[in-house]
Amino acid sequence: MALTVSHVVGGYSQIPVLKDISFDVKDGELVGLIGLNGAGKSTTINHIIGLLTPHKGTITINGVTITQDSQAYKQQIAYIPETPVLYQELTLREHLEMAMMAYDLDQDQAWETAKKLLKTFRLANKLDWFPANFSKGMKQKVMIVCAFLTQAKLFIIDEPFLGLDPLAVNDLLHLIQERKAQGASILMSTHVLDTAQRYCDRFVLLHSGQVKTEGTLSELQAALPEAGESLNDIYLSMTKVDRQ
Amino acid sequence: MIQLFKNRRARHLREMAKYLRLVFNDFFVFALLFFLGGLGLGYSNLLKTLTSGLWWAPLVALVVLGITVQVGRFATLIEDADRVFLLPKERAMQGYLVAARRYSQWLAQATQLIVLFIMTPYLRVTLSWSLATVAGLAVTQVILKDTLLRLDLASAYQVTGQRRMNHWTNKWGLSLIVLAVGLWTNPWIAAILAVLADGAVAVWFQQHWQRQQIRWREQIALEDNRMLGIYRFFNLFTDVPMVSGTIHRRHYLDGLLRRIPVRHDQAYLYLYSRGMLRGTEFSGLVVRLTVIGMILLAFIQGTWLPVILTALFIYLIGFQLLPFFQQYDDIVFTHVYPLTWEQRLRSFVQLVTLILTTTAGLMCLVVILADRRLLPALGTVGVAAVEVWYLARVYTPQRLKRAAQNKG
Repeated sequence: MALTVSHVVGGYSQIPVLKDISFDVKDGELVGLIGLNGAGKSTTINHIIGLLTPHKGTITINGVTITQDSQAYKQQIAYIPETPVLYQELTLREHLEMAMMAYDLDQDQAWETAKKLLKTFRLANKLDWFPANFSKGMKQKVMIVCAFLTQAKLFIIDEPFLGLDPLAVNDLLHLIQERKAQGASILMSTHVLDTAQRYCDRFVLLHSGQVKTEGTLSELQAALPEAGESLNDIYLSMTKVDRQ
Repeated sequence: MIQLFKNRRARHLREMAKYLRLVFNDFFVFALLFFLGGLGLGYSNLLKTLTSGLWWAPLVALVVLGITVQVGRFATLIEDADRVFLLPKERAMQGYLVAARRYSQWLAQATQLIVLFIMTPYLRVTLSWSLATVAGLAVTQVILKDTLLRLDLASAYQVTGQRRMNHWTNKWGLSLIVLAVGLWTNPWIAAILAVLADGAVAVWFQQHWQRQQIRWREQIALEDNRMLGIYRFFNLFTDVPMVSGTIHRRHYLDGLLRRIPVRHDQAYLYLYSRGMLRGTEFSGLVVRLTVIGMILLAFIQGTWLPVILTALFIYLIGFQLLPFFQQYDDIVFTHVYPLTWEQRLRSFVQLVTLILTTTAGLMCLVVILADRRLLPALGTVGVAAVEVWYLARVYTPQRLKRAAQNKG
């Protein structure tokens, strides 16, 4: 079990946004975290990457919690934020080196991986650029390259498709599948439901800070037989119940 | 719309008042008085050496007045969001812009009159002008400034296929011609010329503005630029949140930066050193204070004064470096990367030690070269060494640890 979130209550202040959330991501599995704006997706992710501390409940990655050994916990995660965040004073090359240092990677090996990724995302000739000169999509690609440079066991990807060109979306999906095949786990939050339907192994549907339902597409279809075939239909019917 | 401008003007003036209070602190006023007194004395001495009939005298006046008339920009107080929210109000914006021009007059015209007042004795000595003639020139100058501001107003609207009316060649051309006429013939003729130009622009604007669109992007960029200039000035005296500093690549420092090995335990030193050297905010502070300190130390004498001054400057620099530790706190990877807080602190202490040692070294060098006596030199070096060690190795980690504990 790569990631286990069990009975987590949490949020930014004393008022909990997440109300007793539990789900897991197994080795070599791609799980989609689905929910409306404000459903608690980003809050969940912030708890997993350790920016927030749960009021109750635990989060473990391969048996380690952040309080037991924060170093070992963080070492296993690679994170791609929703809005790209970059160090304004570092060039692209230096961002990559920063990631290599942080995860204590072998330089030569990491650069080999990096070069491949840079080529895929057409950034190879921009190694000496500053973030200020990158477009939104390019910044997003820098985030992707920095994350996939590592040999992390768990990738946390927050809404990766917005701002990426179709080619890059395709490349990213390939990359995700490649790492999945190597045994890495991926938790991905997204609003692009048809892409999620095609690529994710399982789904966790969040609504108002609670796990509404979870499972594979066929499990969801079985649970809500009248809702429809696609993830989109299922999701819409689920939120509709709540609106009435 | 005029009400909108009034609200913005009130807010703007409140903000300016807040900063001006900080700028004109006791020290600055004192220094300014000395400076102005010195300048006044120099000017009056200069006037005594001048006689009438010098061929270059009107030329100097032309240059001074030509530059002065360009001073005082069109302050629109337009904001970035206006191009979205005020777009449907485009026609009504005319009232707003006219009000903005009226507001811009105050500072601009005051500047014109002050400069003319200062120029009066010069004009009377070198050109043997009567006060009435000088008054004519003052009228010309004011109307000319009015014309230039009107050109700015007209240029807020776009005219297809036409060069902007307030292009700098137009502004300078017009002002130099009118002022030259005033200086070499009669100021009152120049005043008539200025009135004609002003009237022409006014008539043109009245006839055209209804059919044209506002150049939103340009006006916003101009206003941002104007405000940035003001904030930069205030930033010399106090911290202005709107000025975040800029980043320069500084290729020439790469050799120095590459000496930090790409290793897990050096990650933060790698980041901090680059941030420090390439950003202008903190490096500017260190360089400014070091240079000021060195200049002061070069001029003062005494046994203990250099020691105290060196200690003071090192303390000032070391103290102000502390917030740089939190520079990257709002970047999520600072928290997500598997690096410990202790690693970060160690790197930061290393950086502070390096900076303070360099600064202290430079100041000690100045003291040694300026004084050439054993006691002040030894005293300065000794005190500086102890202070750098204490500030960087003891005080900095203590303070940052306490700050981190208080935070949570």
